[in-house]
Amino acid sequence: MNLILTIIRKELLDSLRDRKTLMSAIVIPAIAMPLLMLGIIALQKGLNDKEKNKTLKVALVNAPADFKKIIADPKITLIQNAALTAAKDSVASESFDALLAFPAQSTATDTSGQVALDFYFKSTNVMVSDRMKEKISLYKEALLADRFQKLQLPKDLLQPVKVNNQDLASTKEQLGVYLGGFLPYFFLLFCFIGCMYPAIDLFTGEKERGTLETLLTVPASRLQILIGKMATIALVGVVAACMTLGGMFVAMRVSTEIPAEVLKTVSDLLSIKFVLMLFAMLFPLSIFFAGILSAITMRASTFKEAQSYVTPLTFVIIVPAMIALMPGIKLSWATTWIPILNISLATKEIVAGTIIPLQYVAIVLSLILFAFLALLISVRQFSKEGNILK
Amino acid sequence: MLERNFSLIPICIMIKLEQVSKIYSLSKKQQQEQQTNSNSIAAVDRLSFGCQPGRIFSLLGPNGAGKTTTLRMIATLLQPSSGSIVVDGFDTQTQGQEVRRSIGFLTGSTHLYERLTPEEIVKYFADLHQVAPADFNRRKDELFTQLGINSFRKKRIGQLSTGMKQKVSIARTMIHNPSVVIFDEPTSGLDVITAANIINLIRTCKEEGKTVIFSSHIMSEVDLLCDELAIIHKGQLVYSDTMEAFRNLSSGKSLTETFINIVTGQ
Repeated sequence: MNLILTIIRKELLDSLRDRKTLMSAIVIPAIAMPLLMLGIIALQKGLNDKEKNKTLKVALVNAPADFKKIIADPKITLIQNAALTAAKDSVASESFDALLAFPAQSTATDTSGQVALDFYFKSTNVMVSDRMKEKISLYKEALLADRFQKLQLPKDLLQPVKVNNQDLASTKEQLGVYLGGFLPYFFLLFCFIGCMYPAIDLFTGEKERGTLETLLTVPASRLQILIGKMATIALVGVVAACMTLGGMFVAMRVSTEIPAEVLKTVSDLLSIKFVLMLFAMLFPLSIFFAGILSAITMRASTFKEAQSYVTPLTFVIIVPAMIALMPGIKLSWATTWIPILNISLATKEIVAGTIIPLQYVAIVLSLILFAFLALLISVRQFSKEGNILK
Repeated sequence: MLERNFSLIPICIMIKLEQVSKIYSLSKKQQQEQQTNSNSIAAVDRLSFGCQPGRIFSLLGPNGAGKTTTLRMIATLLQPSSGSIVVDGFDTQTQGQEVRRSIGFLTGSTHLYERLTPEEIVKYFADLHQVAPADFNRRKDELFTQLGINSFRKKRIGQLSTGMKQKVSIARTMIHNPSVVIFDEPTSGLDVITAANIINLIRTCKEEGKTVIFSSHIMSEVDLLCDELAIIHKGQLVYSDTMEAFRNLSSGKSLTETFINIVTGQ
């Protein structure tokens, strides 16, 4: 045990002095990711605000007086009585934002018929379309109200059923679906990436540099050396996952865009129980990653070769985590035994507070089983002379 | 062929190889490359020799002769396909950990952790060899002073010159005071001054009563240092005797010439 601890201590010191490991396990998940998240939120909001406040140039053809009244807005410049073809070209070339062409002779009367309105716009300008549809909708409502009044009909004639939505899902449960869905996506990905660089460095890198040969001449057994290295890789993976979670929570607290109610629920989530439940899954998962990555990287002769083996695996991690994001995919006894998918779905249920204890225990046991299998595979690979010597 | 009669070797042997072979299987591609129909190749073929305590034994041979494979088997890095190796009374196949406790292993290319300091590396290997703290401090001070490491003991290996790295490698190899020291082409690729450090180390090892086995193809080094030698070619032992006997065999010719004659079978 002392020898294993000696190896872990040295490997941790060595790994934490490696820039690649530092970047992938600490800097990117704890700092870059939250900054990126806050940046994207701020950028999105900025763009939305800009588009909302942008003065639109809208051409009108044969527009009735009622419509002109409704569309009148300080943030809309109207080009009255435009020529249809020229105006269409202007919308296509984005000189104008939209064109609303009414028929010269409308078949609609005060109480019946339809106004055929041609709305020209570019679907690439999402906000323009939304803003104009809002105005058109106001015009439709005004016409309807006028007709109902003239025909002396009640306004609720077209609404025989009035739906009162009563959402019984608590904020916590709603968060389970949204936050609980994308949380594991990030922490699993960074846990894997966090394991990736130390694995390449501690096996392929050491083999390439010849230090593994020296290490194998010490009285520690190969199993002790392997466990020491794997434990270091798994620890760095757990650190990376924690950094991701910590960074995301900090980013949420700093962001001014997240409603106070959601923030409070997120703060309540960070209980000792939640952290312990998450860690009980994260530790065996990280050992599973470490075992698989060790077995693969020790087969590679060069750093580049190892990278080419390991990088595509990132997609293997992303896919089950993405499946967990799909609506309708829920934790069941079948999904309990699928690694990565099980931890993703379980995180959703833990966040929502709806996890079934027995299923949670089964997930932890299945993750321990997979971690053990990964360890066995790497032990087998480490015992092959061709894998450990140049 | 001049071979030693092993029945005459005293029982007190520090390293003993008996009929040791190392067979590697060949892939189709390797068979084509080596122009052979055989699906296996013997890197070492029924090799037997012994090294006596406190003596310097040299393993000679051209490139690809099987020297590194032999030394790696002695150091327990590789398992023999057949035969047995005993180091300091321990079998390398069944008592690997005990064997590794007795040995120090050094190769020509410096194998050190670039992000650690000399002090951290030497401490790491001392801990792995379970050297007692008091012994470690005394031995580290001795080695660091002898080798002149103190001035750069806290610098990271990546910042050191090849010569400095080699000194740290020596300290790393000797920190647990091994009774057997294995050198695999220790001066290969080193400049004259750095190589001299290694030559001095091998001499010191002998003075301290350690058994040294080293591989080389530099005849001047062998002449200068070794007590006994073995020449291997294509994995097989082609000559084994004392250095004195080898010198006598060379009478009138250079040692290199004699070595070439033995290897080529002339």
